[in-house]
Amino acid sequence: MSKFNRRQFLHTSAGFAGSVALFGALGRPAFAQDTAVRHFWWGNPERDKRTFAVIDIYNGKTPGVVVSGETLGFADYFTKLTTQIAGGNMPDVIQQGYGVLFEYIANGAVVPLDDFVGKSLDISKMDQSAIDAGTVDGKFYALSIGANSHMAVFNTRLFEEAGVKPGETFDPYAYTYDELKEFAVAIKEATGVAGTDDNTADYQNFSDFTVQKGANLYNEDGSYGPTQEIVEEYWSTWAAIRDAGGTPPGPESAALAGVSELSQLGVVTGKSAMSYLWSNQLVGVQGLMQDVLGAAVYPNTPEMIPGSVIQPSQFVCLTRDSGNPEAATAYMSAFVNDLDMTAVLGLERGIPSNSEVRAALEPNLSPAEKVSVEFFDRIQGKTAPLTAPPPSGSAEVEQTFERLAVSVLLGERTIPEVATDFLNQAKAILARA
Amino acid sequence: MHKFLRRNFAGYAFLSPWLIGFFLLAIGPILASLYLSFTKYNVVRPPQWIGLDNYFYMFQMDQRFWKALQVTFQFVVISVPLKLMFALGVAMALDKGIRAIGWYRALFYLPSILGGSIAVAILWRQLFNYDGVINSILRLFGGDGPYWLSDPKYSLWTLIVLAIWQFGSPMLIFLAGLRAIPQELYEAAEIDAAGPVRKFFAITVPLLAPVIFFNLVLQMIEAFKSFSGAFIISGGTGAPLDSLLFFTVYLYNEAFAFLRMGYASALAWVLLLIIALFTAIAFWTSKYWVHYENERG
Repeated sequence: MSKFNRRQFLHTSAGFAGSVALFGALGRPAFAQDTAVRHFWWGNPERDKRTFAVIDIYNGKTPGVVVSGETLGFADYFTKLTTQIAGGNMPDVIQQGYGVLFEYIANGAVVPLDDFVGKSLDISKMDQSAIDAGTVDGKFYALSIGANSHMAVFNTRLFEEAGVKPGETFDPYAYTYDELKEFAVAIKEATGVAGTDDNTADYQNFSDFTVQKGANLYNEDGSYGPTQEIVEEYWSTWAAIRDAGGTPPGPESAALAGVSELSQLGVVTGKSAMSYLWSNQLVGVQGLMQDVLGAAVYPNTPEMIPGSVIQPSQFVCLTRDSGNPEAATAYMSAFVNDLDMTAVLGLERGIPSNSEVRAALEPNLSPAEKVSVEFFDRIQGKTAPLTAPPPSGSAEVEQTFERLAVSVLLGERTIPEVATDFLNQAKAILARA
Repeated sequence: MHKFLRRNFAGYAFLSPWLIGFFLLAIGPILASLYLSFTKYNVVRPPQWIGLDNYFYMFQMDQRFWKALQVTFQFVVISVPLKLMFALGVAMALDKGIRAIGWYRALFYLPSILGGSIAVAILWRQLFNYDGVINSILRLFGGDGPYWLSDPKYSLWTLIVLAIWQFGSPMLIFLAGLRAIPQELYEAAEIDAAGPVRKFFAITVPLLAPVIFFNLVLQMIEAFKSFSGAFIISGGTGAPLDSLLFFTVYLYNEAFAFLRMGYASALAWVLLLIIALFTAIAFWTSKYWVHYENERG
């Protein structure tokens, strides 16, 4: 399977390039007496650039410790991590998301940090909510590196050309799917660019919609929450916008089902004026385009029940395989506390959980980061409560949703048929997991 | 035994790099995967013995398994004959003493070297995109191309074309086979007033049969194992609507996206048995249509 070869090749060549850089920087072989710490994250070009810069700063400040970075796209990250778990050679410090973290704690790949708190690891300035989010059964496992929420981003130039004014034509912090349809069509007519991406196959939007309809994605007992009515209504809602001409054609959106690369978002490719993502991705997306992006919440139903949550975007965690947990946790500590380092990281991974860091960042924010901060201020108190992390099998349910939604986009089967099919398959997957 | 070892020690010593590699890197993992196919194994927890459950589930419950089989068979049945015909056609064209033939051979072989690579799969995706090269050309002539990649009606055909394009290695083998056919036979046929079609079916095909058979078996196995093109073009999931869910892509997903290593191992063994079965069928039929020159009968 050539996939493996490519990955291994990337890995070894990255490692090689890294060590060449180190020799150059230190002017002497680095491996004999120095403590090595490996940091592995999933990212995008912007994040990778910032994180490698931060690693350089840390290595410059701490003689005797050499941190090296490894990065992959989100889709490949967990594949590689899994093989590393099996091989017993996980990096010291890994990135985790809220959804999957608990599985890794349960199987022992991620270890508690309590022994290091107050020594190598300083969490005295962290928000209590962030500490709680990383605590399981009274043990502290995961250091939050930013808060996150669902965000719609729009191309301000195209909106302006179509005369759609955020705050006047529609309220970016409370608007309905009907309003979205109206201004999406107006943008298409005025500019020739579709007003919005088509989210028929977007599970994140679907989960948002489910909560807006008063249900949960997963019930307390781990069973699947959305009903036949909710699934049908979700797909019909988007079908109405698509049929009115507010989105790119169905087959075009079908090609993007399940694609997670930021470069494929409608706002980046120029195929639409509005795309949907996690708020911390705004900085990365803005880095890929010329036009200025504005931020809005996800569309809602007329009842305006909040559907988005604010949750830790990512954590850094210590792994079972770390040979130098003191050095590793000291690096983790600096990653969230050191003002030189956090200044470089900015808001790219989300809003930092350390109040001192937030205050220090305030005067030097980039325009995109300012949009992010304002968005966060505006959605406070307007979000849904954080639910329990999803059960195992949820990733497969998500992929099944994306797959079946394609037949809705292509108009191959009726919406009720596909909805029934999806819910049956989701049940079967959860029963098997 | 001792004597035997002493006498052949040097030979085995020279073979040892291969032997060690074979037992450690091939036989070892193969046996391990046979064991794992009877377990539930998610990598992070130790494997758990569940007997034949994986196989029962596969044949009785798993709709995607049957879909993957269907897609793979469709691909094999369509792409292999087309590729062989194309390779034979090009080989026959090159068999005429054209000038700079070496260059043409190298040129036509090139796609086979590139074809399995990720870069070409990505290139293919660009070519067949809705706004890609193929549709741009169609638009020049006033046509409007379909969504090749996101419409399940067409997506598999893009991969079949990709497979045919990699005709280089069967072509080279055909060329060698054509060279081995004695020219006298054609001359004799011409004297008897046989046309090109008659010559092809009465001389070329029967005498080339062993080579055709060899290429058929090789390409069939290759097609069953085909992975990277479908993986890249479908974004790793077999999309759209599982129309590119090659058996290997499904296997990869079960193993690395959903961490069902036990089930994926069972899938791998089923694929092995399918390939073995089809190879056996090919060998069995071969005695009716493949005749070797040194056979008397």
